[in-house]
Amino acid sequence: MKILATRPERCTGCGACEIECARTWFKVDDKEKSRIRIFPPAKEGQPFRIVVCNQNGACIDVCPTVALKRAKNGVVQLNKSLCVGCLSCVGFCPNQAMFYHPDYTEPFKCVACGKCVDVCPEGALYIAEVADAPASVTDTWLQKEAV
Amino acid sequence: MSHHIAEMKAAHRLLAEFTYEKYPVQRGYTNRTLYINLSDNTIASKPVSEEMKEKFTGGKGFGLWLLWHGIRDTTKWNDPENEIIISTGPIGGITTYPGTGKSLVVSLSPLTDSVMDSNVGGYFGPYLKFAGWDAIEIQGKAEKDVIIFIDGDTGRITIEEAPLEPVDTHLLTDILVQMYGGDDHHARRAISTVTAGSGAQHTRFGCLNFSWYDLRRRAARVKQAGRGGIGTVFRDKRIKALVVKFSDLKADSNGPADLGRLQRVGAKMHKEIHDYDDQQCGMRRHGTSYLVGIMNDYDLLPVHNFRYGSHPDGHKIDVKVWDARFTQGVPDGCWYGCTLSCSHAVDGFVLRTGPYKGQKVIVDGPEYENAAGLGANCGIFDPDYIIEANFYCDTYALDTISVGTAMAFAMECYEMGLIDKRATGGLDFRFGNAEAAIEAIHQMGRGEGFGAIIGQGVRRMKKIFAEQYGADPKILQDIGMEAKGLEFSEYMPKESLAQQGGYGLASKGPQHDEAWLIFMDMVNNQIPTMEDKAEALHYFPIWRTWFGLCGLCKLPWNDIVPPDNALTDEPAKIPEHVRNYVEIFSAVTGRQVTSEDLLLMSERVYNFQRVFNLRMGFGTREHDKIPYRAQGPVTVEEYESRAERYDKQLKALGYDVEKMSTPEKVAALRAHRESQYEKLVDAVYARRGWTKNGVPKVETLQRLGIDYPDVVEIVRRAGG
Amino acid sequence: MSPSAGQEPAVVRVNDNLEVPWSPGMTVRDLLRQCRFTYSLITVTVNGQVIRREEYDTYPIPPGAEVRVIHLIAGG
Repeated sequence: MKILATRPERCTGCGACEIECARTWFKVDDKEKSRIRIFPPAKEGQPFRIVVCNQNGACIDVCPTVALKRAKNGVVQLNKSLCVGCLSCVGFCPNQAMFYHPDYTEPFKCVACGKCVDVCPEGALYIAEVADAPASVTDTWLQKEAV
Repeated sequence: MSHHIAEMKAAHRLLAEFTYEKYPVQRGYTNRTLYINLSDNTIASKPVSEEMKEKFTGGKGFGLWLLWHGIRDTTKWNDPENEIIISTGPIGGITTYPGTGKSLVVSLSPLTDSVMDSNVGGYFGPYLKFAGWDAIEIQGKAEKDVIIFIDGDTGRITIEEAPLEPVDTHLLTDILVQMYGGDDHHARRAISTVTAGSGAQHTRFGCLNFSWYDLRRRAARVKQAGRGGIGTVFRDKRIKALVVKFSDLKADSNGPADLGRLQRVGAKMHKEIHDYDDQQCGMRRHGTSYLVGIMNDYDLLPVHNFRYGSHPDGHKIDVKVWDARFTQGVPDGCWYGCTLSCSHAVDGFVLRTGPYKGQKVIVDGPEYENAAGLGANCGIFDPDYIIEANFYCDTYALDTISVGTAMAFAMECYEMGLIDKRATGGLDFRFGNAEAAIEAIHQMGRGEGFGAIIGQGVRRMKKIFAEQYGADPKILQDIGMEAKGLEFSEYMPKESLAQQGGYGLASKGPQHDEAWLIFMDMVNNQIPTMEDKAEALHYFPIWRTWFGLCGLCKLPWNDIVPPDNALTDEPAKIPEHVRNYVEIFSAVTGRQVTSEDLLLMSERVYNFQRVFNLRMGFGTREHDKIPYRAQGPVTVEEYESRAERYDKQLKALGYDVEKMSTPEKVAALRAHRESQYEKLVDAVYARRGWTKNGVPKVETLQRLGIDYPDVVEIVRRAGG
Repeated sequence: MSPSAGQEPAVVRVNDNLEVPWSPGMTVRDLLRQCRFTYSLITVTVNGQVIRREEYDTYPIPPGAEVRVIHLIAGG
């Protein structure tokens, strides 16, 4: 499956990726609306922290409206028309990579579009093909006959 | 829609129709309530005043206020004048925080003959609000079974005669989500129903089932407005179902003043549950069922009609069993965004008895009360029995707490020889007899036999057993676990004076929603003096009442705690979560409040409910009495089951226990405990600003701003 | 006849209402077992000092100690 992969040791914290992402998806230069976030190193000598969705899919099973689904290319997509904005996915993401902003009722996440890869001056970001994640519990339920 | 559902729909006859303008919810309120009278098919809109919001907030507050004005002092539960009011509250319907979808139901109870309130999850209350109504108020009685349908998408309400649908919930809910929702599962989740069942028609403790929709199971599921018999009132009014439709739920459907604040506090709380629920209560795995083993270990599990606190077979219905029986890994929250997700289900259960024998069903539960009440209290430690009894109580719409406690009482009467097979119609009604117990539940569904007698409730059973079978009324009074006419819920108050007060002084009757102090009192010994207990019995009922004004579930308040909670000044209050609720209320309403403001909101409604009880002829000290089984050992066997503990207590009081017979010790302990209870009642009344007779003083009403002329008149008449 | 010091068996006082006989080397875990406190969401203090969960198996309780075992349990 396709994911946005990272080389944090190359990151200089310039934030170009955050601005490009927000510009692409929300038409504003506001890193609070970015689906990739850069945080300063946790301790001296450690790399910048790049927080971005790796399509692990843990969110799929906590969504009350089954608004999160894995597309054919492996990317987990949020169907905004089904989403009720509860942010359960935000709380349950193991990487804290589902983001929200008060201007929107639905949260948002990386969909591996690659625009940030293009603007990163250090090559800290790249699109990778990785092994598919296992089927979600939700998939198993939805494949069964309805009770 | 299947052919047979289409047939049922075609048989509907339209009795009344009402269209209304829809407009967005503003800061948690629609500012109007819906009034329906089934005797003359009136449908009308009533405005919500600023005063109503300020003094009564919403939820139970609105229910009490509307009922107060809708009935007379002499109204009985089964008069057409009685009302059923359902309301969520200003916070109800937000999605970002767990436990924010509760509805509060208010009516006069067939058990207590006084005002009753009951809380319930599911989608109905919030959907009703988003459909345009802060509350629905139903008065009158229909001639034939009706369905009331509120279409919140188009702004249209109908009363429809509905002759063909079955009344039992598991069938009816399924039919209605298809009939009104259609084939698509997302369209079905836009529907929520309120239904009762055949048991509600034949007992005094009928409950109401409120639906939500499980998209993974692709089935409707139900939560219960359990206590007090409001399901019985529902069927008495010939209501078959209430149905609401609302399709476009969003995070801001509740019209909050500041969505960002709701998002921040919600995301933080979801993460807290993600990080800590597993190590704490495990709500996401097994709900409240984990309490069975703990209560058993601490000698607090009701066994054999609250005689004993533990049983060697307790492990057979403990959490390990439920972890295995509940299907794991699905979000089981009964309102969107509840990540505490406590409502687990047993899937693919094949019923072994009754009219639905052989059907494979989803069973919602059991939670703690069902396992303790239907199981341990009746001496039945068989998980399959508990699951089947849980299912039938739900579909027949019977309050499982009242069923458990009432059956346990009947079993003890039978075992003591106070009644025999003449009374039970041949059922060998001993503790542990699961076959007899499930048959009694089916009899409640059919309205016949011993089940129908149990269905009258403990208070009336005492009268029936004394009058018809010559049973000793004094023993019945001691062991019949009811107060105010309502059956006790499934915790042992016997060794906790504070919990005795928590049950005895609760407005509706002995339900633990007001105060659950057993561990704080008995085990932790955190409230040792009478003043400490009185303070706890002032604070906790007031604090907990607040949830019922706003549409909140109390579980996220203290069934999950932040990791540093133990280091705070008052860990039992969970200060960070109180701050979360202050934040949420402020963010929804735009009014910056403090935690004191929340307590004031509650204290008003709490005192108003006390005066309402007075108005209906109750509400004074004599009605706060509890049976001695709730306070101490009634029998010699009970004393001897805890002899060491009781002897120690008597020694500390100066008794020479070696020289006393057990009956003498039982009597001495009883005299002491009964006098302790009276002292506690004195201390609590004083703390609450009530007279020695339990009547709110006029200055208390004035301080709270509810000194309306008719309210003051009632307390003055009662010496307040 | 007054008892002389050291002849009374040592006790540990728990939650100000339970007296448990003390034995040499008694750990927090031993005490919890003796009181049959099986619930896991607890905080333990010994003579006012909070004892971390990781230390329950090793922390020795002195004779005559005042111990608090606060169960954080919410009920239904």
